[in-house]
Amino acid sequence: MDETVAEYIRRTVLKIPRDEIKTVLQKWGFLSERQLQTINFHQIKENVSQDVVQLCEANSADIKQAAVLDIIYNHIYPNKRVWSVYQMNKTGEETEIFDLRDFKKKFKRQLQSALKNVTISFREYEDNAIWIRIAWGTPYTKPNQYKTSYVVYHSQTPYVFISASVLKSNLPLLCQALVLASNYHDIREMELRSHSLNSLKDIVFKRYSQNFQTYHPRPLQERNVAPESTDVRIVQENRNEKERIQRVNREVFGDGPQPKLEFAQYKV
Amino acid sequence: GVLAHLEMLEARAHQAAVKQEEVEQQEQKLARLQARVQELRAQRDELRAKVDLQEKEQLGKEGAVSNPAQPSAQAVLEWKIKSIKATLQIFYLTGISGKLTKRGVCFCISTAYEGTYLDSYYLDLLTKPEVQIHRHSVPIFIPLEQIARSYLQTDIRRFLSVLSEHLNAYVGRRYQADQLQEHFSEQIEGTLQRNSLCNLLVFNYKVSNKSKTFPFKVRLLYGDLCCSLPTEVIVSCT
Repeated sequence: MDETVAEYIRRTVLKIPRDEIKTVLQKWGFLSERQLQTINFHQIKENVSQDVVQLCEANSADIKQAAVLDIIYNHIYPNKRVWSVYQMNKTGEETEIFDLRDFKKKFKRQLQSALKNVTISFREYEDNAIWIRIAWGTPYTKPNQYKTSYVVYHSQTPYVFISASVLKSNLPLLCQALVLASNYHDIREMELRSHSLNSLKDIVFKRYSQNFQTYHPRPLQERNVAPESTDVRIVQENRNEKERIQRVNREVFGDGPQPKLEFAQYKV
Repeated sequence: GVLAHLEMLEARAHQAAVKQEEVEQQEQKLARLQARVQELRAQRDELRAKVDLQEKEQLGKEGAVSNPAQPSAQAVLEWKIKSIKATLQIFYLTGISGKLTKRGVCFCISTAYEGTYLDSYYLDLLTKPEVQIHRHSVPIFIPLEQIARSYLQTDIRRFLSVLSEHLNAYVGRRYQADQLQEHFSEQIEGTLQRNSLCNLLVFNYKVSNKSKTFPFKVRLLYGDLCCSLPTEVIVSCT
């Protein structure tokens, strides 16, 4: 097994909280259950990671498997990175037949024709999310596994979530590959950025709970009502205003959980 | 001293306020009860009038005068409420129901596949200055904008009908894919490869006969987004 691969796996394992290392390795599936049972997960992380590397050595892990482990880590802990939302446009109105195999082939071909030294890995999840990991090299050097970008794309939607690395210069290349592979025409960055990938998804896919008026109200969740003071002499001066604000909030946002707001920026 | 005096005044003021409160509450209660009495009297008069009318009609007819049991006002109201709820439930079960809002209409499209009710989707429409979609919970991969561009202004019934077809078909395809994955997980290799619209399914499965197993590869293409059955099927033996 390559030295760099071993070191990469060791460092990836070190990033994971000690109690969760076993679960992550099980999700990875590269080491068998029997092999996992030989590891003492209660020792210090340094030793755990060394044991993992030794087992990977026994199974001859290569960079592809190490890359998958990295995707899994980022999928479980996406909030460690900053994600930006990009929107794609197309002019045609034909029915979308999204073929995953086609997409992967086109994406790889496009990216590799422009830059040969890249490591590209894909992983699909149950909610139709496609995760892409790209490790960037240069025309003269091998891909640097620590300089990675991640893309999350839900098929047949115009939104892409990108977590670029420090190498912003590769972004146009990445965008072009995405547009071509997904049969769109162009792509632009939206003013939407966050650590919380799920909040971004909630906003663009409108997954947050909206309050729609229907004749079949869903059961209301228990709300804590503060007891009103019983002394009639005490009047809340802006009580009407407060009630109006609450009512408007409830009408627009409903009662359910809302996306997390990290920062708001106003531009004139 | 002065402080004790002030305390005493404060206590007196408080007592006076409490008494005033009690008096006001009593007055409110009295007013409410009087209003209620008026209400009941009006109802009683109405019912009396109805009874008279019915008796007159009955006398006009030949045969025995059977005195129909007079249902109480409460029972009538309850029956009306139940009947309205049932009507609303029927509208909801038909798949498209709506409710007038302050600025327009809110439609609810409920989907189903072969008798199983699945998700509901909502559309909040404004009617002024022209019909437009204010908010909605339709998934992003359903071509809502396209359908709205074609029909929303001109023929709202067609708009709802086409949208409902798209949603029902999508939900139907998704449900079938989920059921396939769940009930045939032993024969299918891994998971089904699908996409957001569930209009392309690719998977490998095996058929066993005695001691031999035959591996097959299937590609189901659903070319019509309003249809929950595939338009193209390719099965090959791998």
